[in-house]
Amino acid sequence: MSEAQSAQCAADEERQGEQGVYRGTKEVKTIVKLKGVSKVYWRGKEKVEVLHDLDLAVPEGAFEALMGPSGSGKTTLLNLIAGLDVPSSGSVRVADAQLETMGEAGRTKWRAENIGFVFQTYNLLPVLTAQQNVELPLLLANLSSSERKRRAQTALKIVGLEDRVRHRPGELSGGQQQRVTIARAIVNDPKIIVADEPTGDLDRHNADEILNLLDKLNREFEKTILMVTHDPAAAERASHRRHLDKGKLQ
Amino acid sequence: MVPLSYNVRSLFVRRATTLATMAGIALVVFVLASALMLTNGIKKTLDSTGSPDRAFVLRMGSDAELSSNIEAPSAKLAMDAPGVKKSAQGPMAVAELIVVAALDKTGTRGQVSNVQIRGVSDDVFAFRPEVRIIDGRPARPGTDEVIVGQRIRGRFDGVELGASFELKKNRPVTVVGVFEAGGSAFESEIWADVDTLRTSFGRENLFSSVTVQLESATSFDAFKAQVESDKRLGLDVVRESVYYEKQSGGTATFIMVTGIIISVFFAIGAMIGAMITMYGAVSQRRREIGTLRALGFSRLSILLSFLFESLVLAVLGGAIGVAAALPMGMVELSMMNFMTWSEMVFTFDPTSSVIVTALIFGSVMGIIGGFFPALRAAMTSPIEAMRD
Ligand SMILES: Nc1ncnc2c1ncn2[C@@H]1O[C@H](COP(=O)(O)OP(=O)(O)OP(=O)(O)O)[C@@H](O)[C@H]1O
Ligand SMILES: [Mg+2]
Repeated sequence: MSEAQSAQCAADEERQGEQGVYRGTKEVKTIVKLKGVSKVYWRGKEKVEVLHDLDLAVPEGAFEALMGPSGSGKTTLLNLIAGLDVPSSGSVRVADAQLETMGEAGRTKWRAENIGFVFQTYNLLPVLTAQQNVELPLLLANLSSSERKRRAQTALKIVGLEDRVRHRPGELSGGQQQRVTIARAIVNDPKIIVADEPTGDLDRHNADEILNLLDKLNREFEKTILMVTHDPAAAERASHRRHLDKGKLQ
Repeated sequence: MVPLSYNVRSLFVRRATTLATMAGIALVVFVLASALMLTNGIKKTLDSTGSPDRAFVLRMGSDAELSSNIEAPSAKLAMDAPGVKKSAQGPMAVAELIVVAALDKTGTRGQVSNVQIRGVSDDVFAFRPEVRIIDGRPARPGTDEVIVGQRIRGRFDGVELGASFELKKNRPVTVVGVFEAGGSAFESEIWADVDTLRTSFGRENLFSSVTVQLESATSFDAFKAQVESDKRLGLDVVRESVYYEKQSGGTATFIMVTGIIISVFFAIGAMIGAMITMYGAVSQRRREIGTLRALGFSRLSILLSFLFESLVLAVLGGAIGVAAALPMGMVELSMMNFMTWSEMVFTFDPTSSVIVTALIFGSVMGIIGGFFPALRAAMTSPIEAMRD
């Protein structure tokens, strides 16, 4: 372990103590660990290095906000952590899986079990009802249809939409649609929720409701949450903030 | 698996495109089903004409009655050959003469078509028990009276009960009866008295064919050996059933091959239509596909999902095509039989195998047309899809 990395880890521990998120004597596991991660895109012959030798350690149960200028690589980083993409070099270890060594099919299956997604634009299937959208991730697990239905209804209840189960996305407000997305993200009980600008399309009031919900998921359901945001008010709601700039976390 | 309702509902969302694509597939399936039904109808008509326990005698080298000439003494010798069933009146056999008459098609202005005229003897009803008068009465022997098959009744000027027409110039005949013959080819013929016909057409002492009733189906070989061994007679013997099967063969195959060729050409068009529709669906729903991939649906499940969607499109289109083709079962089609160069009336005969074949054809179109779009869907990168 390099000096810089030890220092980083020590800082992590100190911070956790400070904020008192982790109570008792329970040892906190690192659920996301990136080491020496680079991500390079080629625009024709021109090489664009979006992430450069980046390290990151996120303890289980954290609620972290990731900020940074547009084009700094926040989405790129989130995609690596969520197993949607692999780094050009370096190691990405998330929820006990070494993602860059896994094939496309392996990562797909891993995502279904470990990651809940919340997108800025909700990305609900417009032809399906709220309940059917929430059930989608459960179709990848071996569950009876009544069990799927029960779990989807529970998830919708958590986000406060138990009376909207039969509505299509087009019949819901933006805030409601984002709550359906959150229900979809938690329905199969993943360890990690990644949210890329979850409040980007919402007004203050709805944004606050979504942030309350994420906070609840973090506190009550012990989800590790990684949220990209441009909104300082949203970032304030997280237990920790990181800044990405020039390919590195500041 | 991606829920099937996702695909079905997505089809409903793009209602106009979906309907247009389905219509294309329906058309192809309609054409194919109709061609297969007609092929069936032709086979059924001609196959039901012959019976295996009758032998059919033609001039050596002739493959149809029209081109066959048998002198009366030769016909007599064939009738007396061993293996022919005998009744109190003598051997059960008929010698018949075939000519064609060019008649005016009803409802057209001067359009002429050939009709097969069979000169029959007065004991023809005893020999062919499947033939029954259904309207009017039998023709009196030795007169200018004729009876007509029910399928061509009314299709030509004067070919109707009580009416008259000219066999050839200045040879008018009167229709006194209409007969049915179990759906066989005879129903497209006009039957006249054999002697009247021979004198009218200057064919005295000539017949076209001799048909004999065998003692049993197994007596055929003996009969054939005897008749064909006598080289002076110069005759060929076939089972009546085989003769008509061969006749149906050419025409039925022609219709089937034509139908299939047309269907395949149409199918290429409809398949391209389905492909364009599905490519459209895939690019329109790129973000949805990306989301499904992010949530953990595999490439294979996306591929199957979109294949299913185009299959639904094709099966619904196919069902419409088949449904539209079924009423063709009530249509009678008058067309040239290439073996006799005469008009014959065929029906479209819908069977379960035609329906199944047409539906499978439609489904295959859906799967082929949908394959590449489904592949594109499966290869969609979730990151790229979410970026735009
Ligand atoms: N597939 C790609 N090919 C080429 N360049 C890419 C690709 N994906 C991302 N980039 C580039 O990488 C950089 C980082 O992109 P990314 O989407 O991660 O930024 P971001 O921090 O999420 O920005 P924003 O705040 O605008 O969402 C950008 O300059 C982008 O153009
Ligand atoms: Mg981004």
